[in-house]
Amino acid sequence: MRVFFSAYRSCVAAAFATAAAYRINFLLSLFITLCFNLGFPLVTLLIYNAGASFPGWSLFEVLLLQAIFTLSSGLASIMFSGVLWATMQHVREGSFEVVLLKPTGPLMFLMATNFSPDDLGLVVGGAGLFAAALVFVDVSLGAWPMFLLLFAAGFAVMAGLNIFMAATSFKWVGNSRIPEIFDSVMAFGKYPMGIFPQAVRGAATFVIPVGIIAYYPANALLGQVDASMAWVILPCGLFLAASVWTYRRMVRLYEGVGG
Amino acid sequence: MAFVTFKEWGAYRSHSLVSVLVGPVFFLVQYFIWTAVFHAGPVGVMELDEVIRYFAATALIGYLVMDFADWNLSMLVRTGRFLTFALRPLDHRFFALSQKVGHRLLGFLVEFLPCWLIFMFLLGIDMRPAYFGWMVLSVGLAFLMNFYVHYCIGLASFWVVQSGGIRSVYSLLGGIFSGVLIPLTFFPMALQRVQFFLPFQYTSFVPAMVFLGEFQLGGVEMSIPGIVGVQALAVAVAFLLAELLNTLAIKRFTAVGA
Repeated sequence: MRVFFSAYRSCVAAAFATAAAYRINFLLSLFITLCFNLGFPLVTLLIYNAGASFPGWSLFEVLLLQAIFTLSSGLASIMFSGVLWATMQHVREGSFEVVLLKPTGPLMFLMATNFSPDDLGLVVGGAGLFAAALVFVDVSLGAWPMFLLLFAAGFAVMAGLNIFMAATSFKWVGNSRIPEIFDSVMAFGKYPMGIFPQAVRGAATFVIPVGIIAYYPANALLGQVDASMAWVILPCGLFLAASVWTYRRMVRLYEGVGG
Repeated sequence: MAFVTFKEWGAYRSHSLVSVLVGPVFFLVQYFIWTAVFHAGPVGVMELDEVIRYFAATALIGYLVMDFADWNLSMLVRTGRFLTFALRPLDHRFFALSQKVGHRLLGFLVEFLPCWLIFMFLLGIDMRPAYFGWMVLSVGLAFLMNFYVHYCIGLASFWVVQSGGIRSVYSLLGGIFSGVLIPLTFFPMALQRVQFFLPFQYTSFVPAMVFLGEFQLGGVEMSIPGIVGVQALAVAVAFLLAELLNTLAIKRFTAVGA
């Protein structure tokens, strides 16, 4: 594991060095990614501007939730989105053998070599929105440990979704629309869970726990979640473990002719 | 050309069938959001029922007018493969339009029709347009508008070679101002008025409002024939702009036997 982290650190440094070589393109990508993700907070702003609201949620509470979602999504994109595209490309081109020959697991190797600093714009945007929302929301110091625990659990779900997507590409070869399917499911995690029916809330907590990505961490900051709710990290851990297991199983479906 | 494109993409129909899952799921999210937003009563100028039908309509219209002529043209220019079109007895713009007709015909069969059936019979949304004839005309104009604007963006490649940035900016503005994310009537009044002079609303918001049977934006209320007329005028302007840019671009084109 120590060797993996050492290799991972080198790959991250190389990814940033590559981005620095094409820095105008990198900065433009950052800016565009940032702007693209202002879309859904904009919808919230316009809804509240029209005098409407999500029941029980003030504007800045919703923005806080959406900032947490953006932050989690940004971090997961930086670390895991490249795994999907690299897996898809290798499977389509029949060159996955090259990955299988490396002296580490394919998932670990693809994670390390496909670190994507271009998605930093999402983290910057999410962090900015998060800081702005915090100014207008009362958060006690004691709420932070629970928030960090639930944020980590939500991040595990994001990572799991990315790995599930990559695993799907072994079966559904070359379909660049796979992320759209997962994006549509993730949309349930971008809004307060109270607006959804009980069945959807249950599915978004226990089956595909997208509700835990932002809703629970936001509630923790708002002081509406106590330590007894820590059990919600269990489905998140199971989801991540299931994604890794699925990826490993799906690798067996790969058929190639020598790369 | 349209038939060949239809057959070519027909080989990848599972690619298009993703929409049958994604479209209704995104729509359901919108349904829950807006049902919650309207919990305390009417919001803006639209009723809840209208907003629900509006989002279902924009999803379906998206399948009919979707376009990537900009990406295609940009790729042809960047790789020098556009040269082969310069030698053919066929204008590339007509070629690209024919491709889009074939591609969207497939979209009609494997994306639009299944989703229309799901919305209408599974989710119980009334998907019958208020004026069928005007609706067909408006969607046809939206189809052309989307094509000409994307083609103009693709033509930018003759000047900047890598037009990815321009395409991203248009895509961003289009996402916000076409009315796909939220009906334009929710925007501040000044921004609503500006939309009459921008191409975005003519690709989604206008046909969706024609579907609902009433049009109001920026304090301007128009009859359905009136707004479809304005949309036709906007398409004519886009066509002329594409014509002008195409003439200028061809004069700039150089390649080395790609």
